[in-house]
Amino acid sequence: MNNNDPSSHHFLRWFDPRHKSIGTIAFIINRFSALGLTVYLILHLVVLSKLASGGQAYDEFLILAKSPVIKIGEMFVIAGGIIHGANGVRIALNSFGFLVKIQKELFIGLMILSLAIIFYFGVHMFSGAQN
Amino acid sequence: MIRKDQFQSSSKENVWLWLTKIITGLSIVIFLAIHFIVNHLIAPEGLLSYADILAYYSYPIVPVMEAGFLVLVVSHSFLGIRSIILDLNPAAKVMRVINGLLIALGSAAILYGLWLLIVLVGRSTNL
Amino acid sequence: MVWTIELCIARQKAGSERHYQTYQIEIDPDEYVLDAVEKAWAFYDRSLTFRHACHHSTCGACGMLVNGVEKLTCITPIRSVVQDKGRLLIEPLRNFPILSDLVVDTSSMFNNLNKVSFNQVASLPAACLPYESEQPEHAHPEYERLVDCIECGMCISACPISLTSSDYIGPAVLAAAQHESIQSLSPRILEVVDNKNGVWRCHSAYECSAVCPSGVEPGWRIMKMRQAVIAHRIKSFFSSD
Repeated sequence: MNNNDPSSHHFLRWFDPRHKSIGTIAFIINRFSALGLTVYLILHLVVLSKLASGGQAYDEFLILAKSPVIKIGEMFVIAGGIIHGANGVRIALNSFGFLVKIQKELFIGLMILSLAIIFYFGVHMFSGAQN
Repeated sequence: MIRKDQFQSSSKENVWLWLTKIITGLSIVIFLAIHFIVNHLIAPEGLLSYADILAYYSYPIVPVMEAGFLVLVVSHSFLGIRSIILDLNPAAKVMRVINGLLIALGSAAILYGLWLLIVLVGRSTNL
Repeated sequence: MVWTIELCIARQKAGSERHYQTYQIEIDPDEYVLDAVEKAWAFYDRSLTFRHACHHSTCGACGMLVNGVEKLTCITPIRSVVQDKGRLLIEPLRNFPILSDLVVDTSSMFNNLNKVSFNQVASLPAACLPYESEQPEHAHPEYERLVDCIECGMCISACPISLTSSDYIGPAVLAAAQHESIQSLSPRILEVVDNKNGVWRCHSAYECSAVCPSGVEPGWRIMKMRQAVIAHRIKSFFSSD
Protein backbone atom coordinates (compact mmCIF):
# COMPACT_ATOMS: atom_id res chain seq x y z
CA MET A 1 0.00 0.00 0.00
CA ASN A 2 2.10 2.88 -1.26
CA ASN A 3 -0.71 5.22 -2.15
CA ASN A 4 -0.19 8.31 -0.05
CA ASP A 5 -3.39 10.14 -1.03
CA PRO A 6 -6.36 10.21 1.34
CA SER A 7 -8.40 7.11 0.61
CA SER A 8 -11.18 5.15 2.25
CA HIS A 9 -8.94 2.09 1.78
CA HIS A 10 -6.81 3.41 4.64
CA PHE A 11 -9.65 3.10 7.18
CA LEU A 12 -7.94 0.30 9.11
CA ARG A 13 -5.21 2.79 10.03
CA TRP A 14 -7.83 4.66 12.10
CA PHE A 15 -7.32 1.87 14.61
CA ASP A 16 -3.52 1.94 14.63
CA PRO A 17 -2.37 3.80 17.76
CA ARG A 18 1.38 3.54 16.99
CA HIS A 19 3.19 6.89 16.98
CA LYS A 20 -0.02 8.67 17.95
CA SER A 21 -1.06 10.76 20.93
CA ILE A 22 -3.73 9.95 23.48
CA GLY A 23 -6.37 11.70 21.36
CA THR A 24 -6.16 8.86 18.87
CA ILE A 25 -6.81 6.38 21.68
CA ALA A 26 -9.98 8.36 22.46
CA PHE A 27 -10.90 8.35 18.76
CA ILE A 28 -10.35 4.57 18.47
CA ILE A 29 -12.31 3.83 21.64
CA ASN A 30 -15.16 6.06 20.47
CA ARG A 31 -15.35 4.43 17.05
CA PHE A 32 -15.20 0.83 18.36
CA SER A 33 -17.73 1.47 21.09
CA ALA A 34 -20.04 3.26 18.62
CA LEU A 35 -20.02 0.31 16.24
CA GLY A 36 -20.41 -2.19 19.08
CA LEU A 37 -23.31 -0.31 20.64
CA THR A 38 -25.09 -0.01 17.30
CA VAL A 39 -24.83 -3.77 16.77
CA TYR A 40 -26.15 -4.24 20.31
CA LEU A 41 -29.05 -1.82 19.66
CA ILE A 42 -30.16 -3.87 16.66
CA LEU A 43 -29.80 -7.17 18.57
CA HIS A 44 -31.64 -5.67 21.55
CA LEU A 45 -34.58 -4.62 19.39
CA VAL A 46 -34.70 -8.06 17.75
CA VAL A 47 -34.58 -9.84 21.12
CA LEU A 48 -37.33 -7.63 22.52
CA SER A 49 -39.66 -9.02 19.84
CA LYS A 50 -39.93 -12.01 22.22
CA LEU A 51 -41.92 -9.71 24.50
CA ALA A 52 -44.63 -9.49 21.86
CA SER A 53 -44.77 -13.29 21.66
CA GLY A 54 -46.02 -13.43 25.24
CA GLY A 55 -44.86 -14.23 28.73
CA GLN A 56 -43.81 -17.83 28.26
CA ALA A 57 -41.59 -17.18 25.22
CA TYR A 58 -39.89 -14.26 26.94
CA ASP A 59 -39.32 -16.02 30.25
CA GLU A 60 -37.83 -19.01 28.39
CA PHE A 61 -35.49 -16.62 26.64
CA LEU A 62 -34.54 -15.04 29.97
CA ILE A 63 -33.32 -18.38 31.32
CA LEU A 64 -30.82 -18.36 28.48
CA ALA A 65 -30.00 -14.69 29.20
CA LYS A 66 -28.93 -15.59 32.75
CA SER A 67 -26.03 -17.67 31.43
CA PRO A 68 -22.55 -16.34 32.30
CA VAL A 69 -21.67 -15.84 28.63
CA ILE A 70 -24.62 -13.51 28.11
CA LYS A 71 -23.81 -11.74 31.39
CA ILE A 72 -20.24 -11.09 30.24
CA GLY A 73 -21.62 -9.83 26.93
CA GLU A 74 -23.98 -7.57 28.86
CA MET A 75 -21.01 -6.31 30.87
CA PHE A 76 -19.26 -5.37 27.62
CA VAL A 77 -22.35 -3.42 26.55
CA ILE A 78 -22.47 -1.58 29.86
CA ALA A 79 -18.74 -0.81 29.64
CA GLY A 80 -19.10 0.32 26.01
CA GLY A 81 -22.04 2.56 26.88
CA ILE A 82 -20.29 4.18 29.83
CA ILE A 83 -17.02 4.75 27.97
CA HIS A 84 -18.76 6.05 24.82
CA GLY A 85 -20.91 8.34 26.94
CA ALA A 86 -17.92 9.70 28.89
CA ASN A 87 -16.01 10.28 25.67
CA GLY A 88 -19.07 11.99 24.21
CA VAL A 89 -19.21 14.30 27.23
CA ARG A 90 -15.56 15.24 26.52
CA ILE A 91 -16.33 16.03 22.88
CA ALA A 92 -19.43 18.06 23.79
CA LEU A 93 -17.59 20.01 26.49
CA ASN A 94 -14.68 20.77 24.14
CA SER A 95 -16.98 21.72 21.28
CA PHE A 96 -18.75 24.25 23.46
CA GLY A 97 -15.41 25.70 24.55
CA PHE A 98 -14.90 24.00 27.90
CA LEU A 99 -11.62 22.40 29.01
CA VAL A 100 -10.11 22.24 25.49
CA LYS A 101 -6.68 23.11 26.87
CA ILE A 102 -6.81 20.15 29.23
CA GLN A 103 -8.50 17.71 26.86
CA LYS A 104 -5.89 15.00 27.58
CA GLU A 105 -6.37 15.24 31.34
CA LEU A 106 -10.14 15.42 30.82
CA PHE A 107 -10.04 12.20 28.78
CA ILE A 108 -7.88 10.39 31.35
CA GLY A 109 -10.10 11.59 34.21
CA LEU A 110 -13.30 10.52 32.45
CA MET A 111 -11.83 7.10 31.63
CA ILE A 112 -10.81 6.54 35.26
CA LEU A 113 -14.33 7.53 36.34
CA SER A 114 -15.77 5.19 33.69
CA LEU A 115 -13.64 2.28 34.90
CA ALA A 116 -14.77 2.90 38.47
CA ILE A 117 -18.43 2.85 37.42
CA ILE A 118 -17.88 -0.27 35.26
CA PHE A 119 -16.18 -1.98 38.22
CA TYR A 120 -19.14 -1.10 40.45
CA PHE A 121 -21.60 -2.50 37.90
CA GLY A 122 -19.46 -5.62 37.45
CA VAL A 123 -19.33 -6.35 41.18
CA HIS A 124 -23.06 -5.70 41.53
CA MET A 125 -24.06 -7.86 38.57
CA PHE A 126 -21.81 -10.84 39.26
CA SER A 127 -22.27 -10.89 43.04
CA GLY A 128 -26.03 -10.73 42.38
CA ALA A 129 -25.68 -13.71 40.05
CA GLN A 130 -24.08 -15.80 42.80
CA ASN A 131 -26.92 -15.22 45.25
CA MET B 1 -7.95 17.21 -6.32
CA ILE B 2 -11.00 19.25 -5.26
CA ARG B 3 -14.37 17.79 -6.05
CA LYS B 4 -16.94 20.18 -7.43
CA ASP B 5 -19.39 19.49 -4.63
CA GLN B 6 -16.80 19.92 -1.88
CA PHE B 7 -17.98 23.36 -0.81
CA GLN B 8 -21.56 23.29 -2.00
CA SER B 9 -23.36 24.10 1.17
CA SER B 10 -26.60 22.30 1.63
CA SER B 11 -29.43 23.24 3.94
CA LYS B 12 -29.58 19.58 5.00
CA GLU B 13 -25.99 19.43 6.08
CA ASN B 14 -24.79 21.95 8.58
CA VAL B 15 -24.71 22.76 12.24
CA TRP B 16 -28.19 21.40 12.98
CA LEU B 17 -27.37 17.81 12.13
CA TRP B 18 -24.24 17.93 14.30
CA LEU B 19 -26.13 19.64 17.13
CA THR B 20 -28.80 16.93 16.95
CA LYS B 21 -26.10 14.29 17.39
CA ILE B 22 -24.58 16.10 20.37
CA ILE B 23 -27.91 16.88 22.08
CA THR B 24 -29.27 13.35 21.58
CA GLY B 25 -25.95 12.01 22.87
CA LEU B 26 -26.03 14.09 26.03
CA SER B 27 -29.70 13.26 26.63
CA ILE B 28 -28.88 9.55 26.28
CA VAL B 29 -26.23 9.88 29.01
CA ILE B 30 -28.94 11.16 31.37
CA PHE B 31 -31.58 8.64 30.24
CA LEU B 32 -29.08 5.79 30.35
CA ALA B 33 -28.18 6.61 33.93
CA ILE B 34 -31.86 6.27 34.86
CA HIS B 35 -32.24 3.17 32.67
CA PHE B 36 -29.22 1.44 34.24
CA ILE B 37 -30.25 2.35 37.77
CA VAL B 38 -33.78 1.04 37.27
CA ASN B 39 -32.87 -2.12 35.38
CA HIS B 40 -29.77 -3.20 37.23
CA LEU B 41 -29.66 -1.56 40.64
CA ILE B 42 -33.14 -0.81 41.99
CA ALA B 43 -34.93 -3.87 40.61
CA PRO B 44 -33.39 -6.61 42.79
CA GLU B 45 -32.63 -9.00 39.94
CA GLY B 46 -33.23 -6.51 37.13
CA LEU B 47 -36.41 -6.65 35.10
CA LEU B 48 -35.85 -10.31 34.56
CA SER B 49 -39.32 -11.67 34.05
CA TYR B 50 -42.22 -10.90 31.78
CA ALA B 51 -44.39 -10.09 34.78
CA ASP B 52 -41.75 -7.65 36.12
CA ILE B 53 -41.72 -5.84 32.80
CA LEU B 54 -45.50 -5.53 32.60
CA ALA B 55 -45.57 -4.20 36.18
CA TYR B 56 -42.84 -1.71 35.25
CA TYR B 57 -44.84 -0.49 32.25
CA SER B 58 -47.93 0.09 34.34
CA TYR B 59 -46.35 3.33 35.63
CA PRO B 60 -47.49 5.95 33.06
CA ILE B 61 -44.11 7.74 33.05
CA VAL B 62 -42.25 4.57 31.99
CA PRO B 63 -43.59 4.14 28.44
CA VAL B 64 -43.17 7.87 27.78
CA MET B 65 -39.58 7.75 29.02
CA GLU B 66 -38.78 4.58 27.10
CA ALA B 67 -40.30 5.99 23.90
CA GLY B 68 -38.16 9.10 24.27
CA PHE B 69 -35.13 6.94 24.94
CA LEU B 70 -35.84 4.84 21.86
CA VAL B 71 -36.06 7.89 19.59
CA LEU B 72 -32.87 9.39 21.07
CA VAL B 73 -30.82 6.20 20.85
CA VAL B 74 -31.87 5.32 17.31
CA SER B 75 -31.32 8.91 16.09
CA HIS B 76 -27.91 9.22 17.75
CA SER B 77 -26.80 5.79 16.61
CA PHE B 78 -27.82 6.25 12.97
CA LEU B 79 -26.38 9.79 12.82
CA GLY B 80 -23.14 8.38 14.23
CA ILE B 81 -23.01 5.56 11.69
CA ARG B 82 -23.65 8.14 8.99
CA SER B 83 -20.72 10.25 10.15
CA ILE B 84 -18.43 7.18 10.10
CA ILE B 85 -19.60 6.40 6.55
CA LEU B 86 -19.04 10.05 5.61
CA ASP B 87 -15.41 9.69 6.75
CA LEU B 88 -15.05 6.96 4.13
CA ASN B 89 -15.59 9.65 1.50
CA PRO B 90 -18.42 8.13 -0.54
CA ALA B 91 -19.45 9.84 -3.78
CA ALA B 92 -22.37 12.27 -3.43
CA LYS B 93 -24.71 9.85 -5.23
CA VAL B 94 -23.78 6.94 -2.95
CA MET B 95 -24.19 9.16 0.10
CA ARG B 96 -27.71 10.09 -1.01
CA VAL B 97 -28.63 6.40 -1.20
CA ILE B 98 -27.02 5.77 2.22
CA ASN B 99 -28.93 8.73 3.68
CA GLY B 100 -32.19 7.26 2.34
CA LEU B 101 -31.36 3.82 3.72
CA LEU B 102 -30.44 5.15 7.16
CA ILE B 103 -33.60 7.26 7.37
CA ALA B 104 -35.73 4.26 6.32
CA LEU B 105 -34.02 1.84 8.73
CA GLY B 106 -34.03 4.35 11.59
CA SER B 107 -37.72 5.13 11.09
CA ALA B 108 -38.53 1.41 10.89
CA ALA B 109 -36.62 0.76 14.14
CA ILE B 110 -38.46 3.60 15.91
CA LEU B 111 -41.88 2.50 14.60
CA TYR B 112 -41.17 -1.11 15.59
CA GLY B 113 -40.07 -0.03 19.08
CA LEU B 114 -43.13 2.16 19.52
CA TRP B 115 -45.41 -0.71 18.42
CA LEU B 116 -43.74 -2.97 20.97
CA LEU B 117 -44.26 -0.32 23.65
CA ILE B 118 -47.96 0.03 22.78
CA VAL B 119 -48.37 -3.76 22.96
CA LEU B 120 -46.73 -3.88 26.41
CA VAL B 121 -48.71 -0.92 27.75
CA GLY B 122 -51.90 -2.55 26.48
CA ARG B 123 -51.07 -5.79 28.28
CA SER B 124 -49.99 -4.05 31.48
CA THR B 125 -53.28 -2.13 31.71
CA ASN B 126 -55.18 -5.44 31.35
CA LEU B 127 -53.36 -6.90 34.37
CA MET C 1 31.08 14.31 18.90
CA VAL C 2 30.10 12.28 15.86
CA TRP C 3 27.45 9.59 15.72
CA THR C 4 26.97 7.04 12.98
CA ILE C 5 23.34 6.44 12.15
CA GLU C 6 21.45 4.35 9.62
CA LEU C 7 19.24 6.73 7.70
CA CYS C 8 16.40 4.84 6.02
CA ILE C 9 14.57 7.01 3.50
CA ALA C 10 11.37 6.25 1.59
CA ARG C 11 11.94 6.55 -2.15
CA GLN C 12 9.06 6.83 -4.57
CA LYS C 13 8.44 8.64 -7.81
CA ALA C 14 4.87 9.62 -8.70
CA GLY C 15 2.92 6.56 -9.80
CA SER C 16 5.62 4.05 -8.87
CA GLU C 17 6.01 1.71 -5.90
CA ARG C 18 7.63 2.89 -2.68
CA HIS C 19 10.92 1.36 -1.60
CA TYR C 20 13.38 2.20 1.16
CA GLN C 21 17.04 3.08 0.82
CA THR C 22 19.50 3.07 3.71
CA TYR C 23 22.51 5.34 4.09
CA GLN C 24 25.24 5.30 6.74
CA ILE C 25 25.54 8.89 7.90
CA GLU C 26 28.09 10.38 10.25
CA ILE C 27 26.56 13.29 12.07
CA ASP C 28 26.86 15.42 15.19
CA PRO C 29 23.85 14.56 17.38
CA ASP C 30 23.21 18.26 17.87
CA GLU C 31 22.63 18.68 14.15
CA TYR C 32 19.12 18.28 12.80
CA VAL C 33 17.28 15.57 10.91
CA LEU C 34 17.20 17.77 7.80
CA ASP C 35 21.01 17.94 7.94
CA ALA C 36 21.14 14.14 7.84
CA VAL C 37 18.84 14.05 4.80
CA GLU C 38 21.01 16.68 3.13
CA LYS C 39 24.12 14.60 3.81
CA ALA C 40 22.47 11.59 2.16
CA TRP C 41 21.75 13.78 -0.88
CA ALA C 42 25.18 15.45 -0.91
CA PHE C 43 27.39 12.41 -0.37
CA TYR C 44 25.36 9.46 -1.66
CA ASP C 45 22.52 10.18 -3.99
CA ARG C 46 21.77 13.38 -5.88
CA SER C 47 18.50 11.94 -7.17
CA LEU C 48 16.99 12.09 -3.67
CA THR C 49 14.36 14.83 -3.57
CA PHE C 50 13.11 16.68 -0.52
CA ARG C 51 11.83 20.16 0.21
CA HIS C 52 13.72 22.65 2.31
CA ALA C 53 14.32 26.37 2.33
CA CYS C 54 14.75 28.44 5.48
CA HIS C 55 16.23 25.85 7.88
CA HIS C 56 14.80 27.76 10.87
CA SER C 57 11.13 26.68 11.06
CA THR C 58 9.70 29.64 9.20
CA CYS C 59 8.93 28.30 5.73
CA GLY C 60 7.22 25.01 6.66
CA ALA C 61 8.78 23.19 3.70
CA CYS C 62 10.62 20.36 5.44
CA GLY C 63 7.78 18.55 7.25
CA MET C 64 8.35 14.78 7.07
CA LEU C 65 7.51 11.63 9.02
CA VAL C 66 10.41 10.88 11.35
CA ASN C 67 10.07 7.39 12.81
CA GLY C 68 6.37 7.59 11.93
CA VAL C 69 5.73 10.98 13.57
CA GLU C 70 5.27 14.31 11.79
CA LYS C 71 8.29 16.52 12.47
CA LEU C 72 9.62 19.75 11.07
CA THR C 73 13.02 18.26 10.29
CA CYS C 74 14.97 21.54 10.38
CA ILE C 75 14.31 21.91 14.11
CA THR C 76 14.31 18.25 15.13
CA PRO C 77 17.69 17.43 16.72
CA ILE C 78 19.19 14.08 15.78
CA ARG C 79 19.65 13.16 19.46
CA SER C 80 15.93 13.58 20.11
CA VAL C 81 14.90 10.88 17.61
CA VAL C 82 17.76 8.35 17.40
CA GLN C 83 20.75 7.03 19.33
CA ASP C 84 24.32 6.47 18.17
CA LYS C 85 24.37 3.52 15.72
CA GLY C 86 20.58 3.65 15.64
CA ARG C 87 18.19 3.63 12.69
CA LEU C 88 16.21 6.69 11.64
CA LEU C 89 13.21 6.24 9.35
CA ILE C 90 12.25 9.17 7.12
CA GLU C 91 9.03 9.13 5.09
CA PRO C 92 6.95 11.75 3.30
CA LEU C 93 3.96 13.37 5.00
CA ARG C 94 0.74 11.36 4.79
CA ASN C 95 -2.51 12.33 3.09
CA PHE C 96 -0.93 14.27 0.23
CA PRO C 97 -0.05 12.83 -3.21
CA ILE C 98 3.64 11.96 -3.64
CA LEU C 99 5.47 14.01 -6.23
CA SER C 100 8.91 12.53 -5.65
CA ASP C 101 10.51 10.80 -2.66
CA LEU C 102 9.88 13.10 0.32
CA VAL C 103 8.13 15.82 -1.69
CA VAL C 104 4.35 15.83 -1.50
CA ASP C 105 1.80 17.92 -3.38
CA THR C 106 0.22 20.27 -0.85
CA SER C 107 -1.63 22.33 -3.45
CA SER C 108 -5.06 21.17 -2.20
CA MET C 109 -4.26 22.74 1.19
CA PHE C 110 -3.11 26.01 -0.38
CA ASN C 111 -6.19 26.15 -2.63
CA ASN C 112 -8.41 25.69 0.40
CA LEU C 113 -6.45 28.31 2.39
CA ASN C 114 -7.21 30.72 -0.45
CA LYS C 115 -10.90 29.92 -0.14
CA VAL C 116 -10.88 31.27 3.42
CA SER C 117 -8.73 34.26 2.33
CA PHE C 118 -6.02 33.29 4.79
CA ASN C 119 -3.73 36.24 5.43
CA GLN C 120 -0.26 35.45 6.75
CA VAL C 121 0.00 38.85 8.42
CA ALA C 122 -2.28 39.85 11.27
CA SER C 123 -2.48 42.49 13.96
CA LEU C 124 -0.44 41.61 17.03
CA PRO C 125 -3.37 40.77 19.34
CA ALA C 126 -5.11 38.73 16.63
CA ALA C 127 -1.95 36.76 15.84
CA CYS C 128 -1.58 35.56 19.44
CA LEU C 129 -3.62 32.86 21.11
CA PRO C 130 -5.85 34.46 23.75
CA TYR C 131 -4.74 32.08 26.51
CA GLU C 132 -1.02 32.60 25.97
CA SER C 133 0.46 33.50 29.32
CA GLU C 134 2.82 36.10 27.97
CA GLN C 135 0.92 38.58 25.91
CA PRO C 136 3.02 40.97 23.84
CA GLU C 137 3.96 44.12 25.66
CA HIS C 138 2.59 46.50 23.07
CA ALA C 139 -0.44 44.65 21.83
CA HIS C 140 -1.81 47.52 19.80
CA PRO C 141 -3.84 46.61 16.70
CA GLU C 142 -1.60 48.80 14.54
CA TYR C 143 1.36 46.49 15.19
CA GLU C 144 1.43 43.45 12.93
CA ARG C 145 3.30 40.20 12.72
CA LEU C 146 3.30 36.95 10.79
CA VAL C 147 0.70 34.51 12.08
CA ASP C 148 1.90 31.24 13.64
CA CYS C 149 0.77 28.86 10.89
CA ILE C 150 3.68 28.11 8.57
CA GLU C 151 1.50 26.00 6.25
CA CYS C 152 3.65 22.88 6.64
CA GLY C 153 0.65 20.53 6.26
CA MET C 154 1.74 18.36 9.18
CA CYS C 155 -1.65 18.70 10.91
CA ILE C 156 -3.37 17.31 7.81
CA SER C 157 -0.84 14.47 7.69
CA ALA C 158 -1.61 13.52 11.30
CA CYS C 159 -5.42 13.86 11.11
CA PRO C 160 -7.31 10.54 11.08
CA ILE C 161 -10.16 12.02 9.08
CA SER C 162 -7.89 13.52 6.41
CA LEU C 163 -6.46 9.99 6.13
CA THR C 164 -9.63 8.64 4.55
CA SER C 165 -11.47 11.68 3.26
CA SER C 166 -9.96 13.95 0.61
CA ASP C 167 -13.06 16.15 0.76
CA TYR C 168 -12.53 17.10 4.41
CA ILE C 169 -10.83 20.49 4.30
CA GLY C 170 -8.62 19.57 7.24
CA PRO C 171 -7.26 21.21 10.39
CA ALA C 172 -4.91 23.73 8.74
CA VAL C 173 -7.73 25.30 6.74
CA LEU C 174 -10.22 25.23 9.61
CA ALA C 175 -7.66 26.85 11.90
CA ALA C 176 -7.01 29.52 9.25
CA ALA C 177 -10.76 30.05 8.88
CA GLN C 178 -11.07 30.52 12.63
CA HIS C 179 -8.23 32.99 12.58
CA GLU C 180 -9.80 34.97 9.75
CA SER C 181 -13.19 35.01 11.47
CA ILE C 182 -12.05 36.37 14.84
CA GLN C 183 -13.38 39.80 13.91
CA SER C 184 -16.43 38.66 11.98
CA LEU C 185 -17.69 35.45 10.45
CA SER C 186 -18.03 36.18 6.74
CA PRO C 187 -20.57 34.33 4.56
CA ARG C 188 -17.63 33.07 2.49
CA ILE C 189 -15.98 31.43 5.48
CA LEU C 190 -19.33 30.18 6.77
CA GLU C 191 -19.89 28.44 3.45
CA VAL C 192 -16.53 26.68 3.67
CA VAL C 193 -16.71 25.58 7.31
CA ASP C 194 -20.41 24.93 7.93
CA ASN C 195 -20.99 21.99 5.63
CA LYS C 196 -20.38 18.26 5.54
CA ASN C 197 -16.69 18.70 4.73
CA GLY C 198 -16.08 21.41 7.27
CA VAL C 199 -15.87 21.93 10.98
CA TRP C 200 -18.31 19.15 11.97
CA ARG C 201 -16.10 16.41 10.52
CA CYS C 202 -13.48 16.74 13.28
CA HIS C 203 -13.65 13.83 15.74
CA SER C 204 -11.51 15.41 18.46
CA ALA C 205 -8.38 13.24 18.19
CA TYR C 206 -6.29 16.43 18.54
CA GLU C 207 -3.40 14.91 16.56
CA CYS C 208 -3.23 18.22 14.67
CA SER C 209 -2.37 20.10 17.85
CA ALA C 210 0.02 17.34 18.94
CA VAL C 211 2.21 17.62 15.84
CA CYS C 212 1.94 21.35 15.07
CA PRO C 213 5.49 22.73 15.25
CA SER C 214 4.31 26.29 15.57
CA GLY C 215 1.79 26.38 18.41
CA VAL C 216 -1.18 27.11 16.17
CA GLU C 217 -3.42 24.73 18.16
CA PRO C 218 -5.63 23.72 15.23
CA GLY C 219 -7.73 21.50 17.52
CA TRP C 220 -8.49 24.39 19.86
CA ARG C 221 -9.28 26.61 16.87
CA ILE C 222 -11.68 24.04 15.37
CA MET C 223 -13.58 24.01 18.67
CA LYS C 224 -13.63 27.83 18.64
CA MET C 225 -14.88 27.79 15.06
CA ARG C 226 -17.70 25.46 16.08
CA GLN C 227 -18.80 27.85 18.80
CA ALA C 228 -18.78 30.79 16.38
CA VAL C 229 -20.86 28.90 13.80
CA ILE C 230 -23.33 27.60 16.41
CA ALA C 231 -23.78 31.10 17.84
CA HIS C 232 -24.22 32.58 14.36
CA ARG C 233 -26.76 29.96 13.24
CA ILE C 234 -28.80 30.23 16.45
CA LYS C 235 -28.80 34.02 16.22
CA SER C 236 -29.85 33.87 12.56
CA PHE C 237 -32.60 31.36 13.39
CA PHE C 238 -34.16 33.69 15.94
CA SER C 239 -33.55 36.95 14.08
CA SER C 240 -36.35 38.31 11.93
CA ASP C 241 -34.10 38.94 8.87
